[in-house]
Amino acid sequence: MKCRKCKAPAEIDLPSHNTACCRACFAEYFTGQVDKAIRHHGLINPGERVLVALSGGKDSLSLMLELSRQGYDVTGLHVDLGIPVSSAAARAKVENFCTARGLKLKVVELIKEGLPIPDVKQYIHRPICSACGKIKRHWFNRVALTDGFQVLATGHNLDDEVARLFANTLRWDAGYLSDQGPCLAAESGFARKIKPLYRLTEFETACYAFLNGIEIHTAPCPYSSGATFTGHKKLWSDLEYTSPGTKIAFYDGFLKRGRPAFAQVDKDQGRAVAPCTTCASPTSTGVCGVCRLKIAVTERRAADPDRQTDPDRQ
Amino acid sequence: MITVFIEPDNETLHFERLKTVLLLQQRLGLRVNDALVIRGDMLLTPDCRLQDGDEIRIRKVISTG
Ligand code: SF4
Ligand SMILES: [Zn+2]
Ligand SMILES: [Zn+2]
Repeated sequence: MKCRKCKAPAEIDLPSHNTACCRACFAEYFTGQVDKAIRHHGLINPGERVLVALSGGKDSLSLMLELSRQGYDVTGLHVDLGIPVSSAAARAKVENFCTARGLKLKVVELIKEGLPIPDVKQYIHRPICSACGKIKRHWFNRVALTDGFQVLATGHNLDDEVARLFANTLRWDAGYLSDQGPCLAAESGFARKIKPLYRLTEFETACYAFLNGIEIHTAPCPYSSGATFTGHKKLWSDLEYTSPGTKIAFYDGFLKRGRPAFAQVDKDQGRAVAPCTTCASPTSTGVCGVCRLKIAVTERRAADPDRQTDPDRQ
Repeated sequence: MITVFIEPDNETLHFERLKTVLLLQQRLGLRVNDALVIRGDMLLTPDCRLQDGDEIRIRKVISTG
């Protein structure tokens, strides 16, 4: 197989784009897709500081590298969840990556913040991944706000976005359908949220990470259930296989024709937002959801006889 | 014989006589963009020929995110 563009031997076959690339042309293609996303949706303006959420996976690290190469002012943010073994491994991958490439990194340690995920799992009776996701988002927002970042970037790729859009559509969730997309404007004290990889598939970000020698964290979280999203992704893999190009057409079509209709419906339903009385993060509930979680975990931990011999445990 | 290491499952498989990457992918039930097929520091496209003694790394890309 030859590179469609330069006729060198191809390394990457991309049937969705009816093309194949050598590694040099793939790098150009990848950069072009990110640049197109940024320009088309006004994701980053000149001079803005960008905080990039780094989990240690292929998407977030690829995003960080590509944005830095394109000359954006990027700083990574890793939230250390405090899960035995897996969190230390993920954090090490992120720290090594940033050190090796001279990239700025901030780390929030949930153990230090009094809200490690194992305690949330033990004391809060709701699905751990929804609480964990909420806590991570809280810290991304909070650091963006307190450290003066205008933009918060995440590594969501086309497969993530299509799977989520599909799930929201199956439920006809008008609230989510009104604002899902690569750019969520800054409002009520939240930084602008952007997804510059939204045009690139999981396969493409994996190729990029490999070709750039990025070491990624792949060990699954011990609390991971093999979520329903994976099921939807399989379904879409089948669809894409039989009709190449379906994913991006579905997603782009939604942005152009679906979302505006839902945005109209959702317009008048917002609730008043004010700073959390405890941490100053914007919330519509007085004390924000994460501060309420923290209060509950702290109370139950204090009342737990198994933990009382060990008051200094962070 | 071809040795195939599968990530993230950490599984090693051996195959006698597999001529191409496409045949390997079919044997593993993978579509062209479901996994990276790696030999040394190169990525392989489905038409690439496999040689006796090849060590191939399959890196599945679907994440649970
Ligand atoms: S799988 Fe683990 S890291 Fe991911 S959201 Fe769930 S608890 Fe958090
Ligand atoms: Zn080329
Ligand atoms: Zn708060």
